[in-house]
Amino acid sequence: MDSMMAFSELTELTRNDKYVQYELFFGPNFPGMHGNFGYILDVAGSTITKVRPNPGLLHRGFEKLMEQKLWLQNLSLIPRICVPDPDPNEVAYCSAVEKIMGIDIPERAKFIRTITLELSRITSLLMGMGALGAMMGHYTVMYRMMQDRDRVLDMFEWLTGARVYHIYNTIGGVSRDLPEGWIEKTEAVLDELEGNIPEWDKLLFDNPVIHTRLTGIGPLTEEEAVQYGIVGPSLRASGSTADVRKDDPYAAYPYLDFEIPRTGGGDALNRAIQVRLEFAESIKLVKKALHMIPEGDFKIKLGNSLKLIVPKGDAYARVESSKGEYGYYIVSNGGVKPYRVSVRGPSLPGGLALCHKHLPGMLIDDVAIWMASFAVCPPDFDR
Amino acid sequence: MVVLTSLFLAFSAMVVGLLFMGIGRKVTARLQRRYGPPFWQSYIDVIKCFSRNSISHSYIQDLGSMMGLAGLIAAAMFVPIAGWLPFPSASPIIVILYLMPIGYLGMAMGVSASGNPLAAIGIGRALTLMLGYEVPYAILLLTFIASSNTSSLAVLSDLQTGGIGNWFAVKMPIGFIASIICLQAMLAEKPFDTMIAPAEIASGPMVELSGKFLGMAFLQHAVAIFIETGLIVNMYLGGGATVLSFVFKQFLLYTFAMAVNGIYGRYRVEQAVKFLWIFAGSLAVIQLLINIF
Repeated sequence: MDSMMAFSELTELTRNDKYVQYELFFGPNFPGMHGNFGYILDVAGSTITKVRPNPGLLHRGFEKLMEQKLWLQNLSLIPRICVPDPDPNEVAYCSAVEKIMGIDIPERAKFIRTITLELSRITSLLMGMGALGAMMGHYTVMYRMMQDRDRVLDMFEWLTGARVYHIYNTIGGVSRDLPEGWIEKTEAVLDELEGNIPEWDKLLFDNPVIHTRLTGIGPLTEEEAVQYGIVGPSLRASGSTADVRKDDPYAAYPYLDFEIPRTGGGDALNRAIQVRLEFAESIKLVKKALHMIPEGDFKIKLGNSLKLIVPKGDAYARVESSKGEYGYYIVSNGGVKPYRVSVRGPSLPGGLALCHKHLPGMLIDDVAIWMASFAVCPPDFDR
Repeated sequence: MVVLTSLFLAFSAMVVGLLFMGIGRKVTARLQRRYGPPFWQSYIDVIKCFSRNSISHSYIQDLGSMMGLAGLIAAAMFVPIAGWLPFPSASPIIVILYLMPIGYLGMAMGVSASGNPLAAIGIGRALTLMLGYEVPYAILLLTFIASSNTSSLAVLSDLQTGGIGNWFAVKMPIGFIASIICLQAMLAEKPFDTMIAPAEIASGPMVELSGKFLGMAFLQHAVAIFIETGLIVNMYLGGGATVLSFVFKQFLLYTFAMAVNGIYGRYRVEQAVKFLWIFAGSLAVIQLLINIF
């Protein structure tokens, strides 16, 4: 009997066997990965034992590039940092520059900025909810939500001339006024989006398969979320009410009455429901803003944009994007170009830090869902 | 003559299965508000796959691929189509259910030969899922055998002639629902498509298949669709008075499966097995008890 291998030893041997343990490159070329990013996973069977984030593949040197371009030229660069939700980049950058310059933009511009921010948030949330569905194989939700997103992008195209990179917010306001009939058409589109919410509930949020699948994935308490620096809907899904729109109001948010939904619970299902609630709230918010737009200028005249000089100083401006706090820290040495620009992307804590806590022990089945539930957008941190 | 009719049936199973796959893609597309590919796209895909160079990882992959298709075609030979069989047999269900896993095991052997862990995980999931749906399916077969005193699919089909009231779908509705749940898993459609989950295991078994091997996998799936829907039509929907009515009933079953596929996400494999054992298994046991007492 002594010569026979104990069952526990055999089990241990199987675990260590080179055919059972392997290294899985979950991205950059993997169907479950969003963007040119990857996790190198050590896997035993289907269970992850170790994770190594593999950023750098998407690095384009945005912050360094911004030091070499004129203040206004940077506006064509920064929306590309976050494709699904580009407008927070524009507004955060412009707000930081305006803080250094000590200017206050017209009221009408504040409302238009708020509307573009919320519409951008709506497109991003639709994409996020659709992506979450797609990660569970529910492609119907993804295609239909992308169709809704396209309706909002139509409005962006009408307003800004572009569907994705709008380059619409500018230092001192917005680059052009609202076209005639745009408000009415946008309201009609928002009504349509609001009318589709019961369908999303049936297909996704009340779907028993989705509930079974999402429950218990990536649990996060409020304390842990704060400790890791998680922001946005993921933080609020853990029970917090932190939201830059309320905590440090900017643009027209101080004039608008709105609720910040809070689910609590902190797992992937709660994060999904939180996004759904925030989506509905954003629609209401845009509708209110559309009714309250004051008349007046949409932009401060700052002279020749090629010769714009920002006085010496530094400022940090933040906005609440669909994924959470998006911040720009800008330093000016009084020249025609920024001296230093630093971007704070909301995905960094989740994508690069929290993965070490959550992924080991998780099945490879749930990695894509985990990423989608935290709305990890690699370009946020891999700039 | 027997050889010719067997070849004809094998070819027909592939043609019908591919047609269903093409229409299924169209149905899914319309559910997703897309236009979708033409219904003959699956034929084009298979022809294209067979016209391309293939990468074989070892002779085991070649053998497994052939075994997979051969096993399923052999099973198809015993499925009566409107009472017609390519060669005289009693079309015993046990033989069909014995031959079908040979096809799946062939597939498993072939794709595992690639050495890709994702393919192995996909196969592992497929075989685990088989445990999930075969238990309730076996209980249902026992129900048929116990109540009809036959394990012949042809006889079961004949017992249902004379109108819809004679169909076992009407006489045994609970068992029919259990079978439909099992069919969804057998067809590997959502919420049970764990073995080909692209976002999880990069399409699993298909990850290393190229050219002719991928074409063979398409054909295997086509034949599997033909057999699995054919089994339900013969067991519950009265077989078919004509070949056309038989295929039409198969088509309705497959379209229903595709519609369900379009509105659900995907379970994890252990969740899928649990669901099948609890719900399909319970329904099957209830039907068995009803038939016994």
